[in-house]
Amino acid sequence: MFLNRLLLTQFKNYAFQDISLSPGFNCLFGHNGMGKTNLLDAVYFLCMTKSHFGLPDSSVIQWESEFMRLEGHFILQGKAEKIVAKVAPKKVKTLERQGVPYERLSDHIGLLPIVFIAPDDTELLTEGSETRRRFMDNTLSQLNPVYLRELLLYNRILLQRNALLRQMAESHKKNTALLDVYSEQLIKPGQYVFEQRKAFAAQFSEIFLDFYRIISNQAESAGIRYQSALSDHALDWLLRQNLDKDLALQRTSAGIHRDDLECLIEGMPVKKFASQGQRKSYLIALKLAQYELLRTSKGVSPILLLDDLFDKLDPQRTAQLLELLGGESFGQIFITDTQAARVSTLLPSLSKSYRLFEVQKGGIQLIAESPSN
Amino acid sequence: MNFSSKLIEGAVQAFATLPGIGRKTALRLVLHLVNKPVEVSEQFAEAILSMRQNIKSCDVCGNLADEPVCGICSDTRRDQGLVCVVESIRDVMAIEDTLQFRGLYHVLGGVISPLEGIGPNDLNIDALVRRAESGSIRELIMAISPTIEGETTIFYLSKLLRGKPVQISTIARGVAFGGELEYADELTLGRSIVTRIPYKMQED
Repeated sequence: MFLNRLLLTQFKNYAFQDISLSPGFNCLFGHNGMGKTNLLDAVYFLCMTKSHFGLPDSSVIQWESEFMRLEGHFILQGKAEKIVAKVAPKKVKTLERQGVPYERLSDHIGLLPIVFIAPDDTELLTEGSETRRRFMDNTLSQLNPVYLRELLLYNRILLQRNALLRQMAESHKKNTALLDVYSEQLIKPGQYVFEQRKAFAAQFSEIFLDFYRIISNQAESAGIRYQSALSDHALDWLLRQNLDKDLALQRTSAGIHRDDLECLIEGMPVKKFASQGQRKSYLIALKLAQYELLRTSKGVSPILLLDDLFDKLDPQRTAQLLELLGGESFGQIFITDTQAARVSTLLPSLSKSYRLFEVQKGGIQLIAESPSN
Repeated sequence: MNFSSKLIEGAVQAFATLPGIGRKTALRLVLHLVNKPVEVSEQFAEAILSMRQNIKSCDVCGNLADEPVCGICSDTRRDQGLVCVVESIRDVMAIEDTLQFRGLYHVLGGVISPLEGIGPNDLNIDALVRRAESGSIRELIMAISPTIEGETTIFYLSKLLRGKPVQISTIARGVAFGGELEYADELTLGRSIVTRIPYKMQED
C-alpha cells in the first residue's frame, strides 16, 4: 500500500501543492518551520480522518482561507483508491472514498493503516498511564472494530457510574440498586477489553523485543508488561470489593480505565532510569512493533511517517535503522530532516527506490530520485 | 426585521419561541391571523389557554388526560393485565398509531442518566412498582429506546420488580421490516443473529 500522489489545497502553510511520491523512501529536507511536518500530517489526516497532533479541524485550514482540501491517490493491493478530505468552518467535515462520502468517519479507520513517529512521542514513556492506554487502543481499534465499540460502551457506562457516585455523595442518599446496575453493565465490555489487551500485549511484547535488540545493538535488556487489576481478579469481584472506596472517592477506582503498559529497561521503569538516547531507541522499537503488528494482521504494509527521527541518533544507529527500514517488510516511508546529508548519502546503497524533496516556505520541490524511478 | 407595530412584533416574538418556528414563519402566522376576523384569534387563544389550564397527567399511567384518569386507562375493553412501559407521551402516540396494542401504558418521563441529573426518583417509577404489586398485571413490556441509558433503565426496573408477580419482556430489536439485510448496520444485524427467534408457520 502506498500514496502515489498528494494534492494539498490551503492545508496549514500550503496554498496549493501537487506532488508525486515514491513507493519507497520519501525524504523531506528543509529548515525548521518550512512545513515538513505539516506534509506528514496531511498524509496522516487522509488515513485517520484527523490531525496527528490533536488539533481542532478548524486549525488545519491555511490562515485566512475559507476551506482546506486534501486529495490522496493511494494504491491499495494493486487497486487505485482516491481519498478526499474537506474541512470548512461551520460545515461538517467530509471524507470521500472513490467520490462517495462516508456516513461515519470511523468506518474509514483501518482501511489505510499508518504509523507516525514524532519527537513528542517520548511522552508515551514519560507521562502517565493514559498515553499508553491510548497507544494500545489506537492499535487495537485499527485491527478490530468490535474493540472500539466495546471500549466506547465501557467509557459511557463508567461516566454514568461516576456521575451517580458524585450525586450520592452530594445528596447523602444511597441508591445502591442503581449502582449495582452500572457495575453489572460494566462487566461484559470491561472483560472484553481486558482479554483483547492481554492478547495484544503478549503478541506485541515479542515483536517489540526483536526490534529493540536490533536498534539498541543488544546493549541492554528490555521488557513490556501489561498491568491490569483484572489479571488477578474478575471485574465483578473488583467492583464489589472497592464499593466503599468508590463511594468515598466519588469515582470508580478499579477497572480497565486504570490499566497500564509497563515499559522496563534492565528491569527498571524507563520513565525513571533511561537516558535520552535509550528512550529514543525504546520509542522507535515500540512504534515499529506497532507497525509490524498492523502489517501482519492486515496483510498490507502500513505507511510509516518519521518526523525528525534521526536528530538524536548517532550515525551508526541511523545507518542501522535505515537498513532495517529498507528491508522487505517495510513499505512506503516518509522522513523529515533538517540536514539533507545525514540520510541522502545512505539511500543509494539500499535497494529501495527513493525521492528527495526540498521544502521551502510552503513549497516542495523534487531535487533527486533513485535511478529506478 | 423591522415592524411598524409593537403589537405585531410582540406576537411574532411569542410565536418564535415555539419549537420549529423561526421569525419568518412566525410573521406569516401573525399576518394570517391579522387578515382573519377577530373571532378566529379568540378561538385560537381560548383553545390554547383551556388546554393548558385543564390538561392533567393521568394518576395511573402518567399519560396526558382530561380527567384524573386518562381515556386509555379507563377503557375497560383494553387488556388490563398487559402494560407497556415507555419513556414519553410521544411513544404512547407512536404505539397507539400501530393499532397493534390493546393493553395499557406506563409513562416513565425519561430514562435514567446521572450525567444529565436524572435519577430513578425523577421518573415515574414508584407508581409502576405499586401497579406491579397490585397483582392485576401479568406482563410488563419494556418499550424503551435501545441506547445505553435505555438498557440501564430496563436493567434497573427489572431488578426492582424481581419477585413481583409480573412477567417482564422487551420489544424485539432487529432488522427493519421491508429493509434489505445488506443495508442494515453491523450492530443491528449482529444482534438480530444472536437474538434470533424460532420461525412460526402462518396458520391458515
